[in-house]
Amino acid sequence: MSQIALPLPSEGRRARVDSTLGMALFIGSWSMAFATLFLTFLILRQRQPVWPPQGVVLPSLPLAGLATGVLLASSVLLHGAVARLRAGRPGFASRWAAGLVAGLLFAGLQSWLWIDVWSAGGRPDTDMYQGLFYMLTWFHALHVVCGLLALGVIQAGALSGRIHAGRATPASSVAIFWHFVDAVWLVLFFSFFAL
Amino acid sequence: MSGDHIHAEPTGFLRKHVFSVDHKVIAKQFMWFGLVWLLIGGVMAMMIRWQLANPGTPVPLLGKLLYPRGDGSVPPDGYNTLFTMHGTIMIFLGLTPLLIGCFGNFCIPLMIGARDMIFPLLNMLSFWTVVLGGLVGFYSLFVPLGAAEGGWTAYPTLSGNIGTPGSGETLWAIAVFLIGASSIMGGINYITTIVRLRAPGMTWGRLPLTIWGLFFTAILNVLFLPVIGSAMILMVLDRSFGTSFYVPATLNQTGGGDPILYQHLFWIFGHPEVYILILPAWGIISDLLSFFARKPAFAYRVTVGAMAAVTILSAVVYGHHMFTTGMTAMLGESFMLLTMIISVPGEILFFNWLHTLWRGNLRFTTPMLFSMGVIFVFGLGGLTGIYLATIGTDIYLHDTYFVVGHFHLTMAASSLFGAFAGTYFWFPKLFGRMMSEKLGKLHFWTTIIPLTIVFCTMFISGYAGMPRRYYNHTDLPFLRSIQHLNVITSVAAFFLGGAQLIFAFNFIRSRWWGAKAGVNPWQVGTLEWTTPSPPPHHNFDTIPTVVTGPHEYSHPALKDRDWLPQTENLPVA
Repeated sequence: MSQIALPLPSEGRRARVDSTLGMALFIGSWSMAFATLFLTFLILRQRQPVWPPQGVVLPSLPLAGLATGVLLASSVLLHGAVARLRAGRPGFASRWAAGLVAGLLFAGLQSWLWIDVWSAGGRPDTDMYQGLFYMLTWFHALHVVCGLLALGVIQAGALSGRIHAGRATPASSVAIFWHFVDAVWLVLFFSFFAL
Repeated sequence: MSGDHIHAEPTGFLRKHVFSVDHKVIAKQFMWFGLVWLLIGGVMAMMIRWQLANPGTPVPLLGKLLYPRGDGSVPPDGYNTLFTMHGTIMIFLGLTPLLIGCFGNFCIPLMIGARDMIFPLLNMLSFWTVVLGGLVGFYSLFVPLGAAEGGWTAYPTLSGNIGTPGSGETLWAIAVFLIGASSIMGGINYITTIVRLRAPGMTWGRLPLTIWGLFFTAILNVLFLPVIGSAMILMVLDRSFGTSFYVPATLNQTGGGDPILYQHLFWIFGHPEVYILILPAWGIISDLLSFFARKPAFAYRVTVGAMAAVTILSAVVYGHHMFTTGMTAMLGESFMLLTMIISVPGEILFFNWLHTLWRGNLRFTTPMLFSMGVIFVFGLGGLTGIYLATIGTDIYLHDTYFVVGHFHLTMAASSLFGAFAGTYFWFPKLFGRMMSEKLGKLHFWTTIIPLTIVFCTMFISGYAGMPRRYYNHTDLPFLRSIQHLNVITSVAAFFLGGAQLIFAFNFIRSRWWGAKAGVNPWQVGTLEWTTPSPPPHHNFDTIPTVVTGPHEYSHPALKDRDWLPQTENLPVA
């Protein structure tokens, strides 16, 4: 090593801490955006005399429950994949691919949920319940789309060899983001079906 | 060995000057972007003042150009657009890019001894996101039915489809969202860089106060810009998708929404935003006052602590913007008390600055003058804030020109003076040339005198009952008797606007034809002045090792000079 201090090594523990800190700050920050929307949900819900209001089209609980299970499974798969990558054991690409497929499946179930509500006459402008439902699911789905794109990029990296045991941080950062998307969905699910 | 540089120096024009990831280039981009928008927002201010001094008369020079359909006077909806876009532009597209975008990007790596920001690509993305936001905002000026008219606060139902039909207000909300996203990216980058990339020996206790100010601003940005982002999403859904989150039940069948909810969301962001803009200015002048008083900054730790206290308290005082919404007395009094408490760390900062100046060997350079100007204008604005924090007086003064004078002195004039101080101070490091001191001092005096007249006259007219945002206040007979106050304000405002041309001239001339600056023209000790002006692509040939604090001036052990670089130890006596 020369005397010149390395400002930003491209690999190693330092880069891992840097990226993880950046991702943690982003999630802390963006949680405020979701917190604002859920606060809005709670306040406007309090304004309604009954909840859910009488006669509204309710999203299907079995469908949403299935979507929740699939999304949780995808997070578990991705977590396992990253753990394997860090440990240097084989099987990252296949597990990551399984997580990606589960993510896509969630996107499909979410679309089904929308079609279900929409075809029964539930639109954003029909009542406050639908307004809040579409607002939260749309904003969440935007993150699902971004997450799926990122998952795809990592998958391509795994297949081409750019993601490997010595360069696992991009994969772990994307996985952290996906866990965040997952956690937000859980709050959303319980807000609509358990609260 | 790999990794000597973060990224190799680019060679192509695009990668070097346009889509650059170099923090210094991005800082300059932010600076030009902010200055252009300050000019546009400033022209809008001049037109507002014209209308207030001569209601309904044609605007000279610009009137025929901007309002070709009429006689060249500002139409009522045009007036609404002017004050809405003036506020939005100055805050989001003028001051934020200049203070946080430019000085944040430029100073953080150079002052902490790093080669670049920690996430250079995110940095570039942050700039181009704000450009996109600016373009959306600019485009909204030309859509049918006109740009946003709901005021910069965009309260529903003014900003709803009934108050402001057309796509202008929707585009405004999208622009604010994009600009917020840019600030969040910047904030994440700043915090991570300051935490992770400080040079060896650059402990938290040795950070220049500029960096502390930017650090606290970044924290507020990261926490509270997402709140306004979400508030904007709800607004766009209300306007374009028929939801009714902010629409009260009386206005449509599906209602049950709450316009006051928006005010809460807006001010949860909006009050920290005041400190987002002022904290970098406070940090900058805390350093500059010490540099040009040739004395250590008084009570460094206390200054940092006071800024931290302001940062925390700024999150819990926002209710004082909403005293007139009929909040319960209990809540109102809590917000009043908290607002009073936030003035305590503010006072501590004041006394620290004054004590830094006390018996110093003052050098009245332009950056120093503007730094002292911040103390003066923030003092005026801060003291009048006490009246607005008190419920009893606020209910009378709310939505008058008293409020306009108050927030222009605190968040607008103080931050702008901080930005000017920073510009004059770091210009040699940014561009390698000095700005003219003679023109700089002329700029200072021709700015601070009219500025004081403008905003202090507003206090008087506001106290006399002059309301904000009225297109033609002379319709109200009792306001005709104070019309002379509006004329005084406007004449002073035109002088103030004209004085900024001196700055523009000085800036442009010095950028290309100014005297060459040496490595350390101001004789100060922070790290950016140990590297050439402008710094090379990699900032430092070797990463410096820091051994002293940022404010070692006039130490008795120093013989041939009165300053000590942060990389040198005091000579052994």
